[in-house]
Amino acid sequence: MALAVVSPVRAFATATLAQTAPGGIRGRFILRRAAKPSERRPEVADPGAGAPREPVDRRRAVVYLEQAPRPAFDEREPARASMDQRNERFVPHVLPVMVGTTVDFPNSDLTYHNVFSLSRAKRFDLGRYAAGKSKSVRMDRPGVVRVFCDIHSHMNAYVLVFAHPFFDVTELDGRYELASVPAGTYAVVGWYEGEPRVTRSVTVAAGTWAELDLPEP
Amino acid sequence: MRLVTFVLCLALAGTARAQSLPSEPISVGNGRFVFGGEFFVTYGSEDPGFFNYNDYEYNALRNVRAAVSTEVRISRHVQALGEARLEHGDEFSAYALFVRLKPWAERRFDVQLGRVPPTFGAFTKTIYAYNNIVIGQPLAYQYLLSLRSDSVPGTADDLLRMRGRGWLSEFPVGNPARAAGLPIVNTARYDTGVQVHGVVGLVEWTGAVTAGSLSDPRTGDNNGRPQYAGRVVAHALPGLHFGVSGARGPWLDESLDEPLTGTGAARDYTQTAVGVDVEASHGPWVARGEWLRSSWSLPELGPPAIADPVLADSLIAEARYRLRPGLSLAVRGDGLLFSDVAGAGGVSPWEANVGRFEAAITASVIRNIMAKFAWQRNWREGGRVRHDTLIAGQLVYWF
Repeated sequence: MALAVVSPVRAFATATLAQTAPGGIRGRFILRRAAKPSERRPEVADPGAGAPREPVDRRRAVVYLEQAPRPAFDEREPARASMDQRNERFVPHVLPVMVGTTVDFPNSDLTYHNVFSLSRAKRFDLGRYAAGKSKSVRMDRPGVVRVFCDIHSHMNAYVLVFAHPFFDVTELDGRYELASVPAGTYAVVGWYEGEPRVTRSVTVAAGTWAELDLPEP
Repeated sequence: MRLVTFVLCLALAGTARAQSLPSEPISVGNGRFVFGGEFFVTYGSEDPGFFNYNDYEYNALRNVRAAVSTEVRISRHVQALGEARLEHGDEFSAYALFVRLKPWAERRFDVQLGRVPPTFGAFTKTIYAYNNIVIGQPLAYQYLLSLRSDSVPGTADDLLRMRGRGWLSEFPVGNPARAAGLPIVNTARYDTGVQVHGVVGLVEWTGAVTAGSLSDPRTGDNNGRPQYAGRVVAHALPGLHFGVSGARGPWLDESLDEPLTGTGAARDYTQTAVGVDVEASHGPWVARGEWLRSSWSLPELGPPAIADPVLADSLIAEARYRLRPGLSLAVRGDGLLFSDVAGAGGVSPWEANVGRFEAAITASVIRNIMAKFAWQRNWREGGRVRHDTLIAGQLVYWF
């Protein structure tokens, strides 16, 4: 889901840089242990349990280049991405986008939600809105935007905002692929649940794929 | 090829540090044990009129609380829940302790047994700082009336003499010591019994049979008869809820049986309450309101007697507006009105009518740390202190 949402951004990056940089970096980000599913607070003040919900999938990480080649920062058309609110979860749990991307937050539940973030990269509060409605936020600074629901304290997610297109959400087995990276030496960062976990250096030869696994220390 | 130094890493790390305190419950044992917590410090003006004193005889505007709640998931059908609290820095209590049974794991139907949360009313969660849009609680859920469960007035004049105390009262029948009165709905401790809860479509219902009363929740039975309470909430639309609550049960302690010989037993005197409430929210607004009426029947002893149950009406209205991310403004106005009682000196309300207006501004640096500053105006038609303006600040951390 996360990959599908981000794919327009990556496709654009590929089209822009493909003529000069057909190679890339790929490998696995090996997490020692995935975070536990987020739980509701103990409901000691409630007369009963909340509605059953599926656990949040927290097995995906993000791999990105710490530094990027100059063409990566060229002006490009604004993109759009979506983070759904479904069954009291944000879907996807991790959403990487480029600066300038407008992220939609549709409410697919029957109850109200109130999406907000107090992160320095983007502070916003969309207020309460009902099922079938959607509100949007333009991500205009790079950084991590931690997203919450003011009504349901167990709902949280991450939007990672990058100034360049060289990032990828890992597959469930940790595989990632940074396509169209021009030749050069780069620092590759593996990020998981709120912080960079590992950084490795890799050299990409022109027109080739560099293999790089990122084992979490 | 020229490389441009990119500062994303710094931005990522900086934000991560700001969010490093736990922002969600701690889960161990593969989700079998879940821990939440609330920690707050409140410091405010002295309250010589006892407008904000609660059941534990402490000023709610001067409090330090550390509370840890736990949910133990024994199976999909059985959970044990509890909350331990340290209040005012030295008073430890098991606030909640109950077992939740879910006969059908996928259906919203629960049976809770033990020291269970309140069934009646829409504002019971204001005892939790992170659920309270201001700092003080609504008067109906905190303000101490002159009534006591272990001591009763012998005449209407005994009752009228205690008007407007807001704290300690004393009556000639039963326990002669001065002690704190009772609020209409006591949220300072949970009642003990069985609670059944279900959701059918847009309607949520709760019923409970417990040992104590609304005003006086108990760990064990103290009069031989239970209280029955119920609540129905209709989620008419997203963001629009209507609720109806009711409760009835004996409220006097059986230690009064002997003094009341000839007029009945303690269990014959009941507290009966009904309430209706509404909550509406949209965009940056949340608004709530509740009207409730409670009556307490009292023994008719000497003249002038208290012939009818004494009544209290409560009206609460509150609203919160989100000014900007992490900053909100909230106001609450509420009042208690009491029925008339005829004493030797004439007719007057059995308690002094009391009102409160409170405004608070809340700022959050991160999601689960908030600072509140509140201004509160209280007024009362009786007692030593007729009106008072108080201010308070509160720092809250929860996960």
